[in-house]
Amino acid sequence: MLRHRSRLAAQVALLPAMLIALVVYCGSTGWTVWISLTSSRMLPNNNFVGLRQYEILFGNERWLVSASNLALFGVMFITISLALGFLLAILIDQRVRAEDLLRSVFLYPFSMSFIVTGLAWRFLLDPTLGIAKIAHDIGFTWFEFDWLVRQDRVIFTLLAAGVWHAAGLVMAIMLAGLRGVDQEIWKATRIEGIPAWRAYLFIVLPMLKGSFATATILMATSVVRLYDLSVAMTNGGPGIASEVPAKFVMDNLFERQNIGLATAAATSMLITVVAVVAPLLYWRSRAEKAAS
Amino acid sequence: MRRKGWRLSARRVGLYAFLLISAAFFLLPLYVMLVTSFKDMSEVRLGDLLSLPAAPSVGAWVKAWTTACTGLTCNGIQVGFWNSMRILVPSVVVSIAVGSVTGYAMSLWRPRGATLLFGIVMSVAFVPYQVFLYPLVRLFSFAGLNSSLPGIITVHTIFGLPTMTLIFRNYFASVPIELFKAARVDGAGFWRIFTSVMLPMAVPIITVAVILQVTGIWNDFIFGLVFAGRENFPMTVQLNNIVNSTQGEREYNVDMAATMLTALVPLAVYFISGRWFVRGIAAGAVKG
Amino acid sequence: MAGVRVSTLTKAYGPLTVLQDISIEVAEGEFTVLLGPSGCGKSTLLNAIAGLDEVDGGTIEIAGQDVTDLEPAQRGIAMVFQSYALYPTMTVRGNLSFGLKVKGSPRAEIESRVAWAADLLQITPLLDRKPGQMSGGQRQRVAIGRALVQKAKLFLFDEPLSNLDAKLRTEMRVEIKKLHKELGLTIVYVTHDQIEAMTLATRIAVMKGGRIEQYAAPDELYERPETLFVAGFVGAPAMNFLPGMYRGGAIEIDGVRIPAGALELRGPVADGTKVVLGVRPEHIGLVADGALGESVAAEAQFMEPMGADTLGWFTMGSHRVSVRLAPQRARGVTGNVDLALDLSLASLFNATTERRL
Repeated sequence: MLRHRSRLAAQVALLPAMLIALVVYCGSTGWTVWISLTSSRMLPNNNFVGLRQYEILFGNERWLVSASNLALFGVMFITISLALGFLLAILIDQRVRAEDLLRSVFLYPFSMSFIVTGLAWRFLLDPTLGIAKIAHDIGFTWFEFDWLVRQDRVIFTLLAAGVWHAAGLVMAIMLAGLRGVDQEIWKATRIEGIPAWRAYLFIVLPMLKGSFATATILMATSVVRLYDLSVAMTNGGPGIASEVPAKFVMDNLFERQNIGLATAAATSMLITVVAVVAPLLYWRSRAEKAAS
Repeated sequence: MRRKGWRLSARRVGLYAFLLISAAFFLLPLYVMLVTSFKDMSEVRLGDLLSLPAAPSVGAWVKAWTTACTGLTCNGIQVGFWNSMRILVPSVVVSIAVGSVTGYAMSLWRPRGATLLFGIVMSVAFVPYQVFLYPLVRLFSFAGLNSSLPGIITVHTIFGLPTMTLIFRNYFASVPIELFKAARVDGAGFWRIFTSVMLPMAVPIITVAVILQVTGIWNDFIFGLVFAGRENFPMTVQLNNIVNSTQGEREYNVDMAATMLTALVPLAVYFISGRWFVRGIAAGAVKG
Repeated sequence: MAGVRVSTLTKAYGPLTVLQDISIEVAEGEFTVLLGPSGCGKSTLLNAIAGLDEVDGGTIEIAGQDVTDLEPAQRGIAMVFQSYALYPTMTVRGNLSFGLKVKGSPRAEIESRVAWAADLLQITPLLDRKPGQMSGGQRQRVAIGRALVQKAKLFLFDEPLSNLDAKLRTEMRVEIKKLHKELGLTIVYVTHDQIEAMTLATRIAVMKGGRIEQYAAPDELYERPETLFVAGFVGAPAMNFLPGMYRGGAIEIDGVRIPAGALELRGPVADGTKVVLGVRPEHIGLVADGALGESVAAEAQFMEPMGADTLGWFTMGSHRVSVRLAPQRARGVTGNVDLALDLSLASLFNATTERRL
C-alpha cells in the first residue's frame, strides 16, 4: 500500500543500525560470554567447562592486581575529578576575569588522547629528568620522586594523569549545571542571608544531582575502558603493578593466546559495569524527574 | 564598610590564586612538552625541565616527522599522520551518515522496534570494548575486513553509533513536529524530508558531531591497534611505538615533538571550535 | 458533492480514546470550524483528515474519494499550522514551491502559481527572504501562501492564529475570511477561540471528549445549543445556568416558580424532571427599565465594566447570575431589584442527560 512506502523507507534506513545492534552488540557479547564458559585457548572451542575459566581468573595474581588497581584508581579518580572539577566550576562562576581563557585551559587536556596524556606525564614524572630533578636541583635533595617506578605508588601517577585529563570535563558539565540554576534562587539566598558556601553546598549541590550523575557516568565508563593510559605511561609496570583489566584482556587475547581466560575477564568487566552504571542511570533519571 | 571591602578583595585574591595555580597545573605538561621538543638532547639531559630552550631548534620536530623509528622502519610519525587522515575522513563521514539517518528515523518516524533498538544501542555506550573485540576480529577476518582500511572504518562506525544516534535523535526530536507534518503534506517522503528539510536545519548538530568524531577517532588507540593492521596503524599507535621502541638512548626531545604532533589535530579542533566543543560533550553526555 | 465526509471515525492511544465514532460532513465551499477545549480531539480529527495520524476505524472521503489509506500528499489537501512550520533553511519562494517541486510540477507552472499566491497575500517583496527574518504576521501569510499554491481540494488550518497578538489576529481573521469567500475554498479550521469560530465559520462543530457535541451554523449554535456543554462553552460572558425542577408548566428554582410558557420546547416535559434553565446575560434585563419576561427578585452584587457594556452580577436565591447592562444604566443599580428573564430566547436542558429539551 502506498501509505506505507515511507514507513518502509524508515524501516530500511534503520537496517544498518539493526544489523550492528544484532550482530555486533548482541551477537558479540553473547559469543564472548559463551567462549568464557569453554576451555578455549588459542582458538574457540565448544567444550563447556562451566565457570572453570572464572576460577582460574580469580586465582590469577595479575588479574587480581588489575582489578584492585581499577577499583582504587576508579574511586579516587572519580572522587578527585568531581571535587576539583566542581570547585573550579564554582570559582569560575564567581564572575572572574578571563573566564573563557581559564575554561579553555582547564578543558584542553580532555581533547587529547590518553596516549598523548600518558607520554607527557611519563616524561614529567621521570625520576631522573622530570619534576624530581628540579626539586633536587633547587636543594631538596631528600626529595625522592620515583613513584613512576615504585610498585606501591605507580597507580597514583596514573591517577594524576587521569585527573589532569578529566577534571576540565567535570568543570564544563558542572558549570553548565550552575548556569542553569534559576537566578531567583540566588536572590532568595541573599535575601535570607545564607553564606555563599552554604548555598552552594546545601541548596545548589542537591539541584545539580543530574550533572553529577552525568559526569560520574562518563568517568566511570572511561575508567572501565582504561587501557591506553596504562600502556603509554607504564605498560603495566613496574612488574605488574599498574596492570588494568582492559589490558589483561588485550594481552590474553592477542599475546598470550588464552581467549577463554580473556573472555572471562571481559565478561567480568561487563558485569561490573552493569552493576555500577545501572544504579547511576537509575539515580540520574530519578534526579531528572525530580528536577522537572 | 572599608573593612568589608578589604575582606572581599582578600577573598578575590584567594580565588584568583587558586585559579592560577590550577591553570599552572593544567598547562604544565603542555609547556614541558613544548619547551623540551625545541631543545637538543644535551640540554634535555641537564634536566632543567622548565627552562626555555637555550638555542631553540626544530631539529627534533623534523626528526620526529621524517625519520623517527617505529620498530624496524624509520620513516617518522608522518606515516601515522597520513594513516590517521585516511582513517579519519571516511570514518567521520560514514559514522555521521549512519548515525544521522538512524537518529532521524527513530525520532520522527518511529518504525517498529525503534525503542528497543535505541535501548540496545545506547547501552553499548557503557560497555567495555573488550567484550566485543574477539568476536569482531573473527567476524572481520571471515569477511576479509581484518587489518584493512574498510575494516577500521567499519569499527569506528559501529562504535560511533551510540553517540551519533543519540545526538541526532535528540536534535531531530527537538525539531517542531509541525515542520515534519508540513513536509509530509507537501508530499515529501522519508528521504526527501531528510535531505531537503532536516539536514539543512541540522548544520549545528552536524558540526557538533564532526567535532566529537574527529577528536574521538583521531585519539583512538585500541581499535587502530587491533583492526587497522600494521600498514594502517594510526598516529597514536605509531607514537606509542616510537616512544616505547627506542633502542639505546631515549631522545626525549623527539618523543615530545612526536607527542605534540599527535596532539596537534585535536588541539586545533578544540581551540578553533571553542564553545562548540563543550556543546559536543554536553550533547554526547549519554542520556539514557 | 461533499468536500469532506468523515464516517464513524475512531482512534485511541492505548486505553485513551481520543476520537469516538465521529461522523461529520463538510460541503464543498464550506468553512467548518472544529471548536473545543484542549484535549477534546479537534486537532486529532484534523490530523486524521490530513492523514498525519492513522485511525483505528471509520473512513474519510475527500471530494468523493476514499482517502482513508492514502498518504497526506495524495489526499489533495493543503495545511496551515499553528507554528507556521515554515522550512527555516529555504526562502519564502522555496517554501512556497517545495510542495509543487516534490510533486514534479513543471517549472513555469510553479513560478506562476507562486507569483499568484504571493500577489494575493501581498508577500511578493518577501519572496527572497528566509522565515527567520520575518515577523509573525508575515510568516503567517507565507504559511497560508504555501497552502494556497497547492491546487488543494481541501484546506486545513490548525489553530493558525493563536501565536499572533490580538491586533494581528483580527487582521488575519478578516484576511482568511476574504480568501475563503473570493476563492471559494473548502476549509476545515481548528481553534479553541470561540470568537474566531463564530466570525469565520459557516458551520461550527463543538467537540468534547472525542465526540462532536453539536454541528451547526454559528447563530444556531449560539441561540439553540444542543447540550449543556455547548451552551456553556459558546458565548462570553457565559450563559447563566439555573438548576431547578420542571412542574406544572413552570420551573421551580429555589422555591421560586417561573412560568415556562414562553420557552420554546421540543416536546412535552414530564413533571418532576430535573432541569437546568440557561439564559444568556443579554436576555436578562431590569424590570424597572421595561425589560420583557418573567420577573424574579434579585440583589445586586457588583458591576464589571467591559467597555461597550457592563456586566452586572446579581444573586437570585442561592444562584449568581450575570446581566449585560448599558454602562450608563449600570452605575445606578444597587440593592434589591427585579430582573426580567426573557424565556423566549432561553434554553432548557435535562439536568441528567444534559441535552436540550
